[in-house]
Amino acid sequence: MKLNKEMKFEIGRVYFAILGAVVLGIGIAEMLLGVTGRSFEWGIMEMSGEFLLWRGLILFFAGTFYLSSIQNFSDIHQLAKTVMASVMIWIIAGMKIFSMILESIPGGEEGGWFNTLEGFLASYSAPYIPSIFLLPFSLLVLYYIKLVESEEKMDGMKEESQPTGSGGDT
Amino acid sequence: MKLTVDERWDLIDKIAEQVVKYGEYRYRLKDAIADITVKPLTGIPIAIAVLYGFWSFFGAFAGFFTDGFLVKLFDNHWLPWLQEVFPGKGGWLYYIFVGDPAADNCFEAFGVLTSALFVAIGVVLPAIVAFYLFLIILEDTGYLPRLAVLVDTVLHKIGLHGFAVIPMILSLGCNVPAVIATRALETGKQRFMMAVLLAIFIPCGAQLGIMFKVIPGHVGFVMLYLLAGFFVFGFILDRLLPGKSPEILLDVPPYQRPIAKNVTRKLWMRVKSFFKVAIPFVLLGVIIVNLMYLTGFLGWLANLLEPLLCGWFGVPKETVGPLVAAFLRKDLAVAQLSAIEMTMPQLVTSVVLVSLYFPCVATFAMLIREGREGGLKGVSQYLFGGLGALIAVIFLWGGLIRLIWIILGVA
Repeated sequence: MKLNKEMKFEIGRVYFAILGAVVLGIGIAEMLLGVTGRSFEWGIMEMSGEFLLWRGLILFFAGTFYLSSIQNFSDIHQLAKTVMASVMIWIIAGMKIFSMILESIPGGEEGGWFNTLEGFLASYSAPYIPSIFLLPFSLLVLYYIKLVESEEKMDGMKEESQPTGSGGDT
Repeated sequence: MKLTVDERWDLIDKIAEQVVKYGEYRYRLKDAIADITVKPLTGIPIAIAVLYGFWSFFGAFAGFFTDGFLVKLFDNHWLPWLQEVFPGKGGWLYYIFVGDPAADNCFEAFGVLTSALFVAIGVVLPAIVAFYLFLIILEDTGYLPRLAVLVDTVLHKIGLHGFAVIPMILSLGCNVPAVIATRALETGKQRFMMAVLLAIFIPCGAQLGIMFKVIPGHVGFVMLYLLAGFFVFGFILDRLLPGKSPEILLDVPPYQRPIAKNVTRKLWMRVKSFFKVAIPFVLLGVIIVNLMYLTGFLGWLANLLEPLLCGWFGVPKETVGPLVAAFLRKDLAVAQLSAIEMTMPQLVTSVVLVSLYFPCVATFAMLIREGREGGLKGVSQYLFGGLGALIAVIFLWGGLIRLIWIILGVA
């Protein structure tokens, strides 16, 4: 079954509403933990460490962006908010992954220049911060960016082919 | 053939008709994203996320090189080798170049070839590369002008405008190019205000790198305290100084992908010019401080300033050495503070004092040079006006932090 454009945006609306609620909830939890100076661990996920309050604040805003974008989701202004909410999650998760990679390479304080294979692999073991788990779910926005961009391209081509010659940028 | 004004306009219209296509501009996703990054309600959260990325990148990148490799290189290989081969152990030459013979790390040895070299290459170089790399990426993507638009309203409260964010951010790398960047501001009043405020309140990248090593858990507090001082004294200066603070129009370019070649070229230029300024002063700073220590001048000065340092600021009298060194290099001074025995509130106060204290000599020279644009009057304005502001700030803002510790019951 091939979905039409409206259906695709309706699915996106529901998806980002759920994701937004989850992101907002995690953001509030991290902010509360950051303010009270506590930490929380649940399975392979942990909410602790430096900048916890800031991470919570950013996730709180990202969740708010997602939720505020679901009304009239296909509108370009609303989609821009979804994109930026995802970018905010990418910044937190990306920087965490970046620091994990950099920390895994050198040996410890008393060790050699480079890490051992065991030490290298151990650097990537759980627990992880919530943004790492949110990262794959936020990537769906790339599909909608592509969808909108291909539409923009199609519209541009239509205008170009019109006999009046109008359509270019002034 | 000579055309009248009307004929010229007719010709322009004819050419335009042939070459310009008229159409409706389509508002795209890229434009919508660009818009929400300048609107305060959405732009401020995005700016917080970007600044978080900035700090995380700075910490991870600098930590990778400094803690991962360079500390090992300097402490485990360079220092023991130097302590072994340098002649005249215990002599004054040994003290100046290698430092304390009993030191087991370059941070505390305080010799020209140990601490100075370690600070310059082991700590400052990775910090500066990390800082400028991120800054250049922000510049080349087109985010910086948007940040300027975003903070325009706030900066107007202290008589500056959005473009002042450029020298502010630049000074987080090095105050010297930041003082030059104040030329982008409209009036003499704005240029003087910005130069003085950034020289006093904004720590450079080198100092930040050392601060992350010496007081890792308190850098955020120090930065917030300095930022608050920036706005409080900015507000006061704006009211006291004569002159105008006009409105400006900002040209905001579209977002674009940075070009790797441009990024690397800019990075190389900035790091190179920074090192030309920094390294000689770091080396010279250690030589001068060590000579002052060896001749007993530092001890005499410490005793002289003891009532002020201990009574008003609540820090040990030994901090006089780092304060002298701060005139040459502030990063060096913060490193020197870590070797003095004191409580954490005292250490944080000392770091704040080093930041507020007289700008480093390179920045000072640059301030005088900027003042020269206005002749003798300009020089005296920058020199005496700057000094007046500095003395007021160090006593009031430096004393206030001690009051905070007393109120919190930790002093």
